[in-house]
Amino acid sequence: MPAKETEVTYRAMDADTLSASQYRTIRIRVNDVWHDFALGADLSASSTLSFVLREKLGFTGLKVSCDEGACGACTVIKDGKAVLSCMVLAVECDGHDIQTIEGLPKDDPVVEAFAEQSEPGYGTALQCGYCTPGFVMTARALLNENPAPTLTEVKDALAGNICRCGCYAGIAQAVLRASAKIAETAKTAVARSGV
Amino acid sequence: MSEGFTQRVPRKFLGKYRPKIDGPEKASGKAQYADDLTIKMRFPDLLYAKVLHSPYPHARIKGFDLSKAKALPGVAAIMSFKDPEFASLKLTNAGWTDCVDTVPWDRMMFQFRDRRVLGEYACWVGDEMGFAVAAESEEIADEALKLIVIDWEILPFVLDPIAAMKPEAPLVHQDLCTTNILSPDPTGGEDVFEDRGDVDADFGKAEVVVEGTSIHHNATQNSMDNWCCLVDWESDQLTVWSNTYAADQLRMHIHEMLGLPLHKIRAIASYVGGQFGRGDTGDQPFFLFTALLARKTGRPVKFRHTRRESFLNSRQPAIYTCKAGAKRDGTITSMYFKSIGNVGAYADLSMFALKFVPKELAEMVLAHIPNLRMESYGVYTNGLPGCMMRGVGNSQFNLIFGHMIDLLAEKLDMDPIDLCVKNFAHEWESLPSKSLDSVLHEGARRIGWKEKRHLPGKGETFEGVKKRGVGFSCHPAWHAEWQEKRRGQVQVAMTLNPDCTVLLNAASIEIGGGSNTCNVLGCAEALSFLGIGVEDIHWSSIVDTNDGLKDCVQTDSAVSYLQSEVMMHSARELKEKLREIAARQLKLHPDQIDFSDGRIVVPAMPELAMTVKELLQKGDMAPVTVNKSMAPDVTLTGIPFFANFAEVEVDTSTGKVTVLKLVVINDCGTVMYASGAEGQQIGGQCMGMGEALTEEIIYDRATGIPLNFNWIDYTIPTMADMPDIDPVLMEVWKGVGEYGACGIGEGTVTCTPRAILNAIYNAIGVRVNDIPIKPEKIIKALGKD
Repeated sequence: MPAKETEVTYRAMDADTLSASQYRTIRIRVNDVWHDFALGADLSASSTLSFVLREKLGFTGLKVSCDEGACGACTVIKDGKAVLSCMVLAVECDGHDIQTIEGLPKDDPVVEAFAEQSEPGYGTALQCGYCTPGFVMTARALLNENPAPTLTEVKDALAGNICRCGCYAGIAQAVLRASAKIAETAKTAVARSGV
Repeated sequence: MSEGFTQRVPRKFLGKYRPKIDGPEKASGKAQYADDLTIKMRFPDLLYAKVLHSPYPHARIKGFDLSKAKALPGVAAIMSFKDPEFASLKLTNAGWTDCVDTVPWDRMMFQFRDRRVLGEYACWVGDEMGFAVAAESEEIADEALKLIVIDWEILPFVLDPIAAMKPEAPLVHQDLCTTNILSPDPTGGEDVFEDRGDVDADFGKAEVVVEGTSIHHNATQNSMDNWCCLVDWESDQLTVWSNTYAADQLRMHIHEMLGLPLHKIRAIASYVGGQFGRGDTGDQPFFLFTALLARKTGRPVKFRHTRRESFLNSRQPAIYTCKAGAKRDGTITSMYFKSIGNVGAYADLSMFALKFVPKELAEMVLAHIPNLRMESYGVYTNGLPGCMMRGVGNSQFNLIFGHMIDLLAEKLDMDPIDLCVKNFAHEWESLPSKSLDSVLHEGARRIGWKEKRHLPGKGETFEGVKKRGVGFSCHPAWHAEWQEKRRGQVQVAMTLNPDCTVLLNAASIEIGGGSNTCNVLGCAEALSFLGIGVEDIHWSSIVDTNDGLKDCVQTDSAVSYLQSEVMMHSARELKEKLREIAARQLKLHPDQIDFSDGRIVVPAMPELAMTVKELLQKGDMAPVTVNKSMAPDVTLTGIPFFANFAEVEVDTSTGKVTVLKLVVINDCGTVMYASGAEGQQIGGQCMGMGEALTEEIIYDRATGIPLNFNWIDYTIPTMADMPDIDPVLMEVWKGVGEYGACGIGEGTVTCTPRAILNAIYNAIGVRVNDIPIKPEKIIKALGKD
């Protein structure tokens, strides 16, 4: 989640700062770790966030499939919102918080639900798996905002992602299952705290 | 929603609803694909390759100047078609094999050699030709291509296959051919490639004769994982990482074209993000120019298509006409199919779709039709090359086949289900086919065929303008027979460790179909006498030709059972070896020893309480290895069928078609992995519905430029577009061997367009037969344009 620190570090990017940008360092917080990049040396003003995450930091979970904002395979979470990292410039992320799929906890309910999906009638939530990290991150952002979405809300939120294997039925079920897992965890937490 | 599926033979691991073996790796983003394995961090010395894509549908390079491009900082090498490395290469094509065997250049399945690795001719807009660049970044490589000054000779072009057949049409390959019509080839046969009985005589005496046409367009595979390869060629050793789906064939391709001995070529592949037949069998020229750039620069070179460049080929478009004759009682007595296929700029495997598959169908489904003629013409045009796509030739044929069934049934006043059951079966079985009968009646029950079907256009009207209808189409899984007859050696290596865990090498590149899950389950099933579970089996997504096994290529979704079938034999051999080990330890004869659930069973020693693990820990602790290589049995088993049923709603005021429900029914022989199979059934509807309604490559007819090589304008269905889908798995037919299964992945797409089209006819009473059915076609058919 975007920390307070993030807001403090954020500097508005105006035309003047851009013109001097080749001498600047930009800082991006990725999965809770700050990374510094020298503009001009490490990356240019036109470098995309997807390029930086994959090629500079090795976060290869996100995939660059269309590179023009049409498929959602490169989705990451920026300041709590799902964004298409191929459509975000690295310089726009200076001072911002980015979460990639590698930054999700090991037992993330969305990841688990996508992996487990298998009940009769819906198939699996993934086949080739290329679109999966994008779907997982889009679903994660949805559930962060709306932990108990309806099927219609799930379809609406995930309609920007393409799965060419066509596992949409399984994906929708996985998101609903993840939602149920989140509710279950919350219930257990409440029970444990004795409230 | 689903009634689920119950196994004919109960098994411990196979045929269940359970998560995918690679689910955790893929869902967490840890699965590594070719593009991930080849990032610069892993190859610091990496260069990036780009190739010129022709801006013209038909042109020739007369002259060029590379000086500006070479002077660009960051450019490591520019190679041209004039360089001896390229000028000396043999003409080739991109589909050497039938995807089953590894074949050399001189045994390519269809002998159309019309591709140059880098040529001077451009034959379609997007053709990879002329020049290849290696540079420090993709941007620099792209910039260098723009700086090459080219003197073009622009040639006349043709996009329409009917126009291309005319003698005055511009020749797509003027240096190779004297006509755009492909000449008959030894594999595909003559233009009239099937002619039994006397079709013409029968049309004269048949009680009912109908004629129909269907047009299948060039939908494209659109695998999300764009083609990618990295070639490292140090001294005499070439290593290629890629997302090919046929590693052994890639090794042979490089060997044959570049002349390296096989042991100096190592092809490595891992997960592939969707295949769907793209690139035919993958004998793509880009592997070769990337390799030659690597040799020239002495550095690893990576080549990857952009999304736009991934629009590299399409389903083989075909215009089919058919005339059929029948008796009043519904016995079909004659059929005459004729097709004109737009093969685009390169022939590749076009005749596989246009002749080979229909010829198979003549025996698989039309065996009991006494008079049958099939005729086909493949025609070059200056468009996107035609190619395999999720079932070679099936969708195209089914579009006319299902149409003829619907037409005939209407004229005969019969239920089309009854017409199918009455007429269609494999040549080895008598009518009716039990499989077809079961599949169609189960589908009818699930969609509500009796209740929902009505006279064409005569159903209830909803909201004043909306009409609903149901339709179906069916098809044989013809490759089930073909696999058994034609598959070569299937190879599996199995190693039992002294702690009773297993190393499995069932080499096959996982493209998403779930064969890796089937293989691990199949291994556990075969070794159930060891009492092991799935977690005791190690498998790898990496396929490496240096492991010495031919990878089983993912075609016909057959890997899902072929390797498991071999594992049954491996397990028997392993058991024999264990018997010998136990006999030595226990000083018994091997025949006295058996195994059950991980324990050693000796009837003469009921007190013996030794596990296999304990046995293996006693001796020298050497792993026990079994390498098995065997061809599937040949037994006359006939083939199973599959079908799709659709319910649609057509808005007669706007022409919009909404699919309300799809039922997809597959007779699988044996279901190897139920969740995966249902995933295929459901997923296939997405591609099939896209092909039927929205997906279409659109050209600017004046310039020959394709206009929608992107996912905004080439519209793939999303989650919001897909209706409820009812996947139905059946086990009626059984093939040869322990499992006798049949791949279903490709077939799930085959019948969807025709099922939707027949449902549209049932809804509005007007037929539209050229897909995709966009609203304007409905409006026109209704006479409202």
